[in-house]
Amino acid sequence: MSIAEKGYTHWQGELKERKLRWWPITRQGIRLAFKRKYFKFSFFISLIPAVGFLIGIYISERIEDFQSMFKGSQKFLQVNPAYFKAYFTGEFLLFMIVMIMVLAGAGLISDDLKYNSLQLYFARPLRRKDYFLGKASVIIFFISIITLVPGLVFFITKLLFSGSFKFLGEYPWLLLSILIYSFILTTFFALYTLFISALSKNRRYVSILIFTVYLFSDILFGIFFGTFRNPYFALISIKCNLQQVGAVIFNQKPPYAVPWFLSFLILCVISAFAGIFLQKKIKEIEVIK
Amino acid sequence: MSIEVKDLHFSYGKVTALAGVSLKLGEGAAGLLGPNGAGKSTLLRILLGFLSPDRGEGKVLGYNIQGQQSLLRRYVGYMPEDDCLIPGMDAVTFASYFGELAGMPRQEAMKRAHEVLFYVGLGESRYRMLETYSAGMKQRLKLAQAIVHDPKLLFLDEPTSNLDPQGRKEILELIKDISSKKDIQVFISSHILSDIESICSYVVILNKGKVAAQGILSDLKEVQYRLYEIKVKGEEERFIQKLKSMGCKVDETEDRLLKVYMPADKDLLEIFKIASEESVQIRHFVKTQTSLEDIFASAVGVD
Repeated sequence: MSIAEKGYTHWQGELKERKLRWWPITRQGIRLAFKRKYFKFSFFISLIPAVGFLIGIYISERIEDFQSMFKGSQKFLQVNPAYFKAYFTGEFLLFMIVMIMVLAGAGLISDDLKYNSLQLYFARPLRRKDYFLGKASVIIFFISIITLVPGLVFFITKLLFSGSFKFLGEYPWLLLSILIYSFILTTFFALYTLFISALSKNRRYVSILIFTVYLFSDILFGIFFGTFRNPYFALISIKCNLQQVGAVIFNQKPPYAVPWFLSFLILCVISAFAGIFLQKKIKEIEVIK
Repeated sequence: MSIEVKDLHFSYGKVTALAGVSLKLGEGAAGLLGPNGAGKSTLLRILLGFLSPDRGEGKVLGYNIQGQQSLLRRYVGYMPEDDCLIPGMDAVTFASYFGELAGMPRQEAMKRAHEVLFYVGLGESRYRMLETYSAGMKQRLKLAQAIVHDPKLLFLDEPTSNLDPQGRKEILELIKDISSKKDIQVFISSHILSDIESICSYVVILNKGKVAAQGILSDLKEVQYRLYEIKVKGEEERFIQKLKSMGCKVDETEDRLLKVYMPADKDLLEIFKIASEESVQIRHFVKTQTSLEDIFASAVGVD
């Protein structure tokens, strides 16, 4: 390999301050996620419920055409806040969010720790919050694609197919519910994933941990609830807490007889703890050994 | 002045890392030397704006190290000691990514990444995944990301570590080219004295958080002492003792060659007078050049 195949030339442009300093981090994070094995497949699978629910909206508006196929299922095909809640708090959707976090989010910080690239980031005009925001936005992007975007598409499709604004008049708050619950889901999973990603330099351990913590909390709930029949054990399950809060936001009855605000509080505590941990773990001043 | 710091103090709890460091570095390449724990890394951290000094003040490229860190980092390049990469990326994406983070427009950063990769000798491998790079290639990659945004000042931390002799020579040639012909000031922290000696015209030697010596290398070599290599026959011990009592530092090599560091104010004839007094024959007497190693040993107080 020869040195200086080309001479060094000065760059004539001007370095400028970006308004969104974190954007290149997000863009690269999304790009790298799509290069990962099995990610595209998982992402595609996670969109299946959205397609199913969209078809449901179409059928609900053309129910007369499908009478023979859906005899007695009219109740199921009523598009109302319960329909939206069923999509947003569905077990499969939450599970696929975790799978996407495993494949796209596990290495976000742990790879930077393993390959010492933090010092390169912070030797640039980048603040710690830009770094976190850039990494978190990768997660926010993917979760939004399977929560916020389908939610809005459902809403618009319903209005389009019904040909009137009656649905909007009946549930004027539904759009806000979609936004709020998508925000809760993205924020919680962004902090949860980044927190676990910052725990280890090994991406595999992080992947296992993201998956195990979510799954184990639910298994634990299943065991305790099965044994003691006390609904308060739902509070130890991440999934149940998300479903409780989701039900309330979509103005539905929570699935467990536990005050919803306790579930919300638990999600807030986990998020706050993750945020504080990340602040302490990733320090600009520690990047040069 | 590219770097100007005054009376810098910094402590990690009760451990003092820097105790009144003052520096003024101009153009060209400057070397930072010092034993482990001398405060080199702390000084680099402060100059890059990662740490805020307990006391003292400083400017890098005219930007205050305490209030204008963000601006400062836009115009400096940093090549860390450790291997740094992002798995799943090729070299072009990697270099352009860090160019973008420094404030370059995306397309310009990509164009520039190609140029600097050719410059550091990675032109042919620029589309290869970084995980497959050898130690030497990773070193060149770090240099490429440090110069991609065309910095005015380059901080290099152990730039030749983990390199074979040929790779080391090539990296040193690049650094020499950057510092001497390309109008980029270079500040190198290294343990390899010969590297510093071959590139830098100015050196700063830190010891126990203080500047033990600093100045233009040629001046340091001249002013401090003259170095003579002597071979003698006769009662060597007493001869050495008398030289030491006169203020000379004497080192004996394995082949019984005496390296005599003579203070600038002493007369050369004194050596011959002592030899005569002690009935010692001087068989070999050569005035030699002081190396950076000699200056380092003298400043830090170790052989």
